[in-house]
Amino acid sequence: MKSPEELAKERMRRIEAAVNLEEPDRVPFSGVGGDVIAAYAGITQEEFCFDYKKAKEAIVKFNRDFPCDWTFAAGFVGVGVPPLTYAFADDPDVSATVGMAMFGTIHDITGDVCTRYPGREIESNCSPQFIGGKFMEVEEYDDLIENPVKFIAEVIIPRICRNMNTPRKAMAAMIRLGIEAEKIKSFAMEVGMELAKLGYPSIPITLGYTPLDLIGDGLRDELNLILDLRRYPDKVRKACEALVEPILKVGLALKPLGIKYAFIPLHLNEYLSPELYNEFYWPYLKEVIMGFAKEGIKSFVFFEGRHDAHLETILELPKGWGIAYFEKTDVRKAKEILKGHTCVMGGVPISLIVSGTPEKIDSYVKELLEEVKPGGGYILATSVGIAPKETPVENIKALIEAVEKYGKY
Amino acid sequence: MLEEILKSIVEMEEEEAVKKAKEYLDGGGDPQKLLEVCRDAMGEVGSRFEKGEYFLSELILGGEIFRQIMEFTLPKLQSGSVKKIGKIVLGTVKEDVHNIGKDIFKVFAEASGFEVIDLGIDTPEEKFVEAVKEHKPDIVGMSCLITAGVTSMKKTVDKLKEAGLRDSVKIIIGGGRVDESVKEFAGADAWADDAAKGVRLCKQLIGVEG
Repeated sequence: MKSPEELAKERMRRIEAAVNLEEPDRVPFSGVGGDVIAAYAGITQEEFCFDYKKAKEAIVKFNRDFPCDWTFAAGFVGVGVPPLTYAFADDPDVSATVGMAMFGTIHDITGDVCTRYPGREIESNCSPQFIGGKFMEVEEYDDLIENPVKFIAEVIIPRICRNMNTPRKAMAAMIRLGIEAEKIKSFAMEVGMELAKLGYPSIPITLGYTPLDLIGDGLRDELNLILDLRRYPDKVRKACEALVEPILKVGLALKPLGIKYAFIPLHLNEYLSPELYNEFYWPYLKEVIMGFAKEGIKSFVFFEGRHDAHLETILELPKGWGIAYFEKTDVRKAKEILKGHTCVMGGVPISLIVSGTPEKIDSYVKELLEEVKPGGGYILATSVGIAPKETPVENIKALIEAVEKYGKY
Repeated sequence: MLEEILKSIVEMEEEEAVKKAKEYLDGGGDPQKLLEVCRDAMGEVGSRFEKGEYFLSELILGGEIFRQIMEFTLPKLQSGSVKKIGKIVLGTVKEDVHNIGKDIFKVFAEASGFEVIDLGIDTPEEKFVEAVKEHKPDIVGMSCLITAGVTSMKKTVDKLKEAGLRDSVKIIIGGGRVDESVKEFAGADAWADDAAKGVRLCKQLIGVEG
């Protein structure tokens, strides 16, 4: 029996070998998370999003019973409000604490209108959801370009957060956020300590964003932004340029904690034609990735949807730049194009885990690994980490067993 | 003129398309013909999308151009003169509050000549059942974005079965997280993860050439 320390080291080596494009002892497996964690612990989504103690216990219980190498997906207990993160870009000590917090308690304090939480706007057993909204007019692009942090903090936040739309309410909310930040910090530390006891490596992660996604998710709403690309291309380009710096500042605020990875979830990548992608999206995403790289931080990019049309652009990055986590892009094809250059992650449709059988999962993983395992540089994960509450646990077990069975080098 | 309008829409020339459509009507053009041309244009946009020549960005812009032209064209059409090819009851399933996928599909479905009854978001199973009873649609369209929606889709199909309505409709599911195995799991007849495919399949489901 390995000690937790040995187990954690073994798991860490496995993940790092894959990131460094080598063959580990076995294909590393990034586990599932989301609603199923709360359901498995017998608590509601509301409790999972608002009760630190219950959430901690649920996360620990789940990761004890469903072992994996990387508990990345279990780290999400809520949905965030992107402008709130970047409102503090010039105050790294603040952005490092409340800026990235994704917990229902933060939603209660700010009263933001762009998320929906269980037990609040939606039923207590629903998933927390991000819906965004339009919080900025076309005429305001110039203000955003001129001073993005000031504009987001002083103009956008009062529009998004019902509890911060007057100076008095904002002051009170800020103090409450400060108090809450301490609780969130202890929650994160306690979860980390408990997971360490179970032999999980500590892989602290910071957050990155693509400028165009920040405008789409947090300011203009994605549909308006798509129209802006044709109607006001210069403004959008300049806004993207202006947002690179605050995005990096927030991401790097956590650097003193020994962060090795920056998670960058993409959104509009799938929406755009190669022409638009290469004009409005990729140059700025590349700047963000390279900005992190300069500071010794590897990017961990989630390519939402189908990224097929833009796959080749990844080769413009330096070899070993980070992890490319694909959702619906065929990882076989991605691995073929990116082998020896980029660590590829993903491969198992979440629908298979939700609706398949242990036998189907076993044979799927067997076939998948035959194709993508050779040469290393691959991390197995479900297409999205969020497993719904009804996900059959025997299917999660089958996935774990299949990786063990077919993943060895 | 109509040919130019068609081309402008398909080529994503937003201002041009809207301007020419207005000019056409102001010059005494037939709104029915304009509608047909716009529909053809949207069909072409959809088919370019399916060929991989266009992306979601073009579907969205195409939908927006169509919406703008319809705003001043539909009031000029006599009610009842617009032929519908079928009826769809559409909604984002229970527990999911996202509307973007549903709304993009709706624009293309309407542009193809479907009548769409939109039940909104976070739609309880019972509401789908009631809507099927009330509107007697050809097709039930269910949308979801988050993974939790997958089980809601199954529950909704089950409720339709319980109510004895399953065989009276075709069921299509759509959204970013659906695929063939979700279709099998939910017991739907078709699935699509984009609006163009979704509308083409709806036409196939009711036997209209897609």
